[in-house]
Amino acid sequence: MKKEIIALLLAGGVGSRLSILAKLRAKPAIPFGGIYRIIDFTMSNIANSKVDVVGVLTQYKPLSLMEHIDNGRPWDLFGKTRLVEILPPKTGEEISDWYKGTSDAVYQNIGFIEDFSPEMVLIVSGDHIYYMDYNALRRYHKNKKADATIGLIRIPEEQAHHFGIADIDRNGRITDWQEKPKKPKSNLASMGIYIFNTEILKTALRESAQKGGVDFAKDIIPLLLKKRKRIFGYKFTDYWRDVGTIDAYWDCNMDLLKTDSGLHIENWNIRTNLFIHGEVGLRPSAYVGKNARVKNSLTSSGCIIEGTVENSIISPGVIVDKGARVIDSIIFHNTVIKTNAFLSKVIIDKNVRIGAGVKIGAGNSKPNKTLGMNLSTGITVIGKNAIIPDRMIIGKNCIISSGIALNKYRLKKINSGLTL
Amino acid sequence: MNEIVGMILAGGRVDELLTLTEKRPKAAVPIFGIYRFIDFVLSNMMRSRIDNIGVLSQFRPYSLMRHIGTGEHWDFIGRKRGIRMLPPYKGLKESDWYRGTADAVYQNISYIEEFKPQYVIIAAADHIYQMDYQNVFEFHKKKRADVTVCFTRSKIKKPWFGYGIIEKNGRLVTYQEKPEKPLSDWISMTIYIFRTDILFDLLKENTQTDSHEFGRDIISQLPGQCAIYGYKFCDYWSYARTIDLYYETNMEFLKGKINLNTWQVCTNLIEGCALRDRLPARIEGNATNSYISDGCIVKGTVVNSILSPGIIVEKGAAVIDSVIFHNTVIKGNARLKRVICDKICEIGENAEIGTYGAKTPSIEFKNLLNTGITILGKETKIAPGVKIGANTVVYSGIHVIDKEIKPGSTIR
Repeated sequence: MKKEIIALLLAGGVGSRLSILAKLRAKPAIPFGGIYRIIDFTMSNIANSKVDVVGVLTQYKPLSLMEHIDNGRPWDLFGKTRLVEILPPKTGEEISDWYKGTSDAVYQNIGFIEDFSPEMVLIVSGDHIYYMDYNALRRYHKNKKADATIGLIRIPEEQAHHFGIADIDRNGRITDWQEKPKKPKSNLASMGIYIFNTEILKTALRESAQKGGVDFAKDIIPLLLKKRKRIFGYKFTDYWRDVGTIDAYWDCNMDLLKTDSGLHIENWNIRTNLFIHGEVGLRPSAYVGKNARVKNSLTSSGCIIEGTVENSIISPGVIVDKGARVIDSIIFHNTVIKTNAFLSKVIIDKNVRIGAGVKIGAGNSKPNKTLGMNLSTGITVIGKNAIIPDRMIIGKNCIISSGIALNKYRLKKINSGLTL
Repeated sequence: MNEIVGMILAGGRVDELLTLTEKRPKAAVPIFGIYRFIDFVLSNMMRSRIDNIGVLSQFRPYSLMRHIGTGEHWDFIGRKRGIRMLPPYKGLKESDWYRGTADAVYQNISYIEEFKPQYVIIAAADHIYQMDYQNVFEFHKKKRADVTVCFTRSKIKKPWFGYGIIEKNGRLVTYQEKPEKPLSDWISMTIYIFRTDILFDLLKENTQTDSHEFGRDIISQLPGQCAIYGYKFCDYWSYARTIDLYYETNMEFLKGKINLNTWQVCTNLIEGCALRDRLPARIEGNATNSYISDGCIVKGTVVNSILSPGIIVEKGAAVIDSVIFHNTVIKGNARLKRVICDKICEIGENAEIGTYGAKTPSIEFKNLLNTGITILGKETKIAPGVKIGANTVVYSGIHVIDKEIKPGSTIR
């Protein structure tokens, strides 16, 4: 099957700075905005841009991701000429091993690319929140007669050390490239979005691999620049967020509740898989009870809200009992919040039970002992399946790991900044 | 080969639902926000492990056909599972519209024969209940019955039903179809299990007559003639046959009498204006005792109401005691009280609908519309500032620009 362009979606990310949210799942599979997962944004962008062959490169904890992608149908990437294929690491071929980096993962799947003999390959990562028409990128790439084009976005300089930084000339051509620099030459950061001409890509991957190169930003781009290939930067100016930290993840979710944030998924045609585990499928609409108060929040199918919910995002099947108050929080699927519990700035993973009268987000603002400044703005995170017994008090910047049944301990209080 | 095959009677239009069934059969009328009537029987069939289903439809079946799709939403898709729409067809001998429920099944005997089932279960598509048909089936086998009819108790005193007298051992001794004075309060739920050979014989016999309804022409003749039993069902059941009953059923859902979290009813989430690709509901205003579906944006007030997906309630607008179908927009400061509003309507700013005149019955539908409910048909547009009194029906697609519509009016 011949295609002009195919997409490879890098979805292997460990997301270690997202702590326990990414402990049991790959970063792209982390729930977002009530009913979505982070990868839905990239998947929908690909589908909306009419790129209809997608390889999803997975490695770290891919199960929930694979289930979520399913056969590609939620994004209409299912049919005689449209498909999504999961590309996990494999053995038994000439080059086969764990993926050692982003470019290595693509290198090990050159065969998949060759199946479609595309002119261009679009490479994107599955862990950013944005809306982009990749056709605009493709047109730019063609107009510039580029060998490769990289999506770039302006960032505050103090964040430059997290990104690949490009310097471009007046024509848009990239003249210099620094990977995670201490002293950045510009504030144009790579969005992890590339279009390569297939032949250029294949040659570069082979050459780089021979020298032990494994990463696009570290190895492939510098190699191509050294060979004076035509690499262009495509400046993107709309909403784009890397949700790689707890703070960024929380901020980005909260942007959904603001009208002026630029995150307008109503207009973005973002699709998700509604079917797996009956996440929405078997549930009636959200019920808001007689004494409930819901203010500036998102509620999903199957929620039963009898208490107060303010500035929060509630996933399907969450129960908020009478007298409970949920403020500035993000609650994942099927979590139950019992009577008179009080939650402020909390991210709660799936299937958690918060006992009656529990208080979370109280006390002083000590940063987290293990994550330090990466968890210091007062957000507490509670892992999947945890049980928080009645009347327990939990401070700010805490992490309660997945599956912990705190009712088995004699604890009454967990101070700010602790990790359990 | 299957032991049992299901046939669903989904053809009926039911005039009493006025504009709600103007362009769709009752089975396809939306209910409880995200469902349609037929979801209940389909989900019951699915959970009762009845794997092959025929759906008999005649009246404007398109919304139904789209809704059922491949049947995958009820898991009727697979090597040995399937669902088939069975519309009227032209053949060599019989080539006619369905002349009644029995005739509809008779014309599709060949569909049933494909599976060579020992039993056939026939059920209406427009009732709200949760039932495990396997229980009826076991009862049927234990009694060595030829025919089993399901009955439930009802307070409704209307000549709509078949009534049965059931002996202690379960035998059905009398069956009256739509009698003036019912002899019992057990009414037929239009759920029958037949031994296949007996069903075929009865249907063939019935072709000799000129009326072809299961209740009136077949079941009523059977007591004393064959082993016919009555299965008593005592849980929630609603017929929702009139606007009043439809409204009441919705309100019973709000009161928690119907717990859909435990019923686990399945519906088609991706067809037409269903849930597909919608955001969670955004609630910025006030909502009390209401169901708010995904894709709604509530900036005004919603009280005691059920909102289907994609409804926008703008700032200052109030939706009270109402049932609103998909993608309707209620503009700023509009007020709705006891309104059933079909899909894709637009209620203009400051409009007032159903807020007064509840005691003035409908002039045209005096007996059907007199409890203060107002109905707006699909794609109705109400201009800003318009006042519409209660007990009014506005038929679909009408753009109302008159300053005031008196209570009890009908607008076509």
